[in-house]
Amino acid sequence: MSALLKKDWFGLGLVLIFGSILISLFKPAFISPFNLYVLMLSVSLMLVVAMSQMIIIAIGQMNLSVGAIGGLVAISFTGLMEVYSMSIFPAVLIGLLIGLACGFINGYITVKTGISAFIITLATLYIFKGMNLGITEAQPFYEIPEAVKFFGNAKIFGPIPYLVIIPIIITVLMWILMNRTSLGRYMLAYGNNVQSSELIGISSTKIVIYAHVISGLLAAIGGMLVVCRLQLGTPNIGDSWLLPSFAAPVIGGAILAGGKVDVIATAFGVVLVSIISQALVIFKIDPFFVQIFLGFMILLAVFINRYREYREERRTKVFSDE
Amino acid sequence: MNNKIPNFVKTNQFGLLILVIVFICIFSFSTDGFTSRFNIYALSRVVALDIMIGLAMMVVILTGGLNLSLGALGVSAAMFGGWCMESMGIPISITIILVLAFGSFLGWINGFVTVRTGVHSFIVTLATMSIYFGFMTLLTEAEAFRKLPEAFTDFGSLKLFNKYISPLLIISVLTCFVLYYIFKYTDIGRKLIAAGANPDAAELSGISVDRMFIYCHMLSGFLAALAGIMLTARIGAAIPSMAGHLGFDWLLPAFLAPVLGGTLLSGGKVTVFGTMLGAILVTLINNGLYLIDVGEFWVRFFLGIILLGAVLLDRAREYFTVKNSIVS
Repeated sequence: MSALLKKDWFGLGLVLIFGSILISLFKPAFISPFNLYVLMLSVSLMLVVAMSQMIIIAIGQMNLSVGAIGGLVAISFTGLMEVYSMSIFPAVLIGLLIGLACGFINGYITVKTGISAFIITLATLYIFKGMNLGITEAQPFYEIPEAVKFFGNAKIFGPIPYLVIIPIIITVLMWILMNRTSLGRYMLAYGNNVQSSELIGISSTKIVIYAHVISGLLAAIGGMLVVCRLQLGTPNIGDSWLLPSFAAPVIGGAILAGGKVDVIATAFGVVLVSIISQALVIFKIDPFFVQIFLGFMILLAVFINRYREYREERRTKVFSDE
Repeated sequence: MNNKIPNFVKTNQFGLLILVIVFICIFSFSTDGFTSRFNIYALSRVVALDIMIGLAMMVVILTGGLNLSLGALGVSAAMFGGWCMESMGIPISITIILVLAFGSFLGWINGFVTVRTGVHSFIVTLATMSIYFGFMTLLTEAEAFRKLPEAFTDFGSLKLFNKYISPLLIISVLTCFVLYYIFKYTDIGRKLIAAGANPDAAELSGISVDRMFIYCHMLSGFLAALAGIMLTARIGAAIPSMAGHLGFDWLLPAFLAPVLGGTLLSGGKVTVFGTMLGAILVTLINNGLYLIDVGEFWVRFFLGIILLGAVLLDRAREYFTVKNSIVS
């Protein structure tokens, strides 16, 4: 039990359960099948985006280009199907390859030049977004195969959409990667302390490139899932991903300096953000309040994490220079 | 052998200056109208703002942090100014003072939360960005203030020096000199740099690092508010979307100018004139790309490529100067 209490996701889980009960007591519409369906869709999409950012946070960097990669893949995916009448499977494959290539570019340049990933991904954000706009000339692609539309909107049973399948698989794989594989542990070691991880023989090049490639792949999947959901490929897919992509991992207790992430807590962070956004809509609160609220949520999470660290420090009585 | 090369040549600013000159040459020869009076005037208005935004970011980068809320903060301050002038009828001079104070206050919030939580300012300002912008949109109901005093809007469209230069550029250049003076010759300026360069050492030598960091964020808010006022004067109205959604349109010039100018992201180094040159370079490239007619939609792409190139070039220059200095 006490081990459970220490987990990042435990407190979040409690907040989630009690919050949901409270909201549904006031507004029973909150647990209506339709609302749950909408909630699950938004959770599914943001989950992938949050994981894409989380893996970069794990190695102590930031990826500003997550949304730009998602957008570029989204329009390539739909463009291939509409303009070149390609079938779905090869289009998905090429979409994934584009995501992989974008991630590789980010990782390769970052690790080879030693320039902060923040600056590199800011530049590639403009490059990828520019390619997106250059190709589409800001016009959306509308002709999406029926199967794709079906996948984005059909339900398995009850209110559960098909769209949740891929994000759940990704979350499980990410948990295995971060907790059960040496690659994941090396990433955390690298994020914690670059010098010492190199001294014990971890290759920075490999770690950074792998992390960025995975981030690119996840952003690509996110972009294609949004296409399924919206039933069209608009160039502005991904534009609004930046804030939520950081919000969920930070609310889930990730430390931006790297070396500590929690996949389950990040997933709970996504659910929490989605529930709150949804609740504000149900209570008919101005959509701009959702944004303000998200901002306050991040600050609150930051304060709570800080307080927990402080308590941890006092308990272990280890001198800390922070 | 290395001693024969003047020190200035080895600096980042020199490389930037060369790049600026090269791009001016390229654009003057390859396009019509780059050197026209109209274009130079338009450039001076844009550059003025980019310099100010770059400086606002630079003073936070000094602490090793970032200020993502820059655009949201600047627009919020500008909207506050619009409200003061249009709805409250407050005189221009007092409005400007109030706006600058308001900007500094928002900056103080950023600084205070960053220092107290010990969390990277990236996350703090990511949060305050959406808070400031959300409140601004709610309070203004996304409506612009378009009936500003004429004396104020006239200033924004004033043309000086044979109609070549906007007075806004003069404000920015003056701000550069003031900041240069502060960082170079004043006690507080040196303390700010010391706190950014090595917080532990600064703390041990009796500097309150927390307070210095808060000052940096306040200065950033001040400069962003000034940029907001300048943009309002330039457009002739205070519009909630004038820096894009969440103020994102300001972010690229904000980071590029100081980074190209040689400000270290790890903190502890400022280059006021480097930032100025960086802003000039970015504006030149942006303007030139439109004139060359690469197509409106590809401008962003080329901007990204050129920036990446500039950052890589700078890294190469650093690498060779370090190698040379080791040899000698």
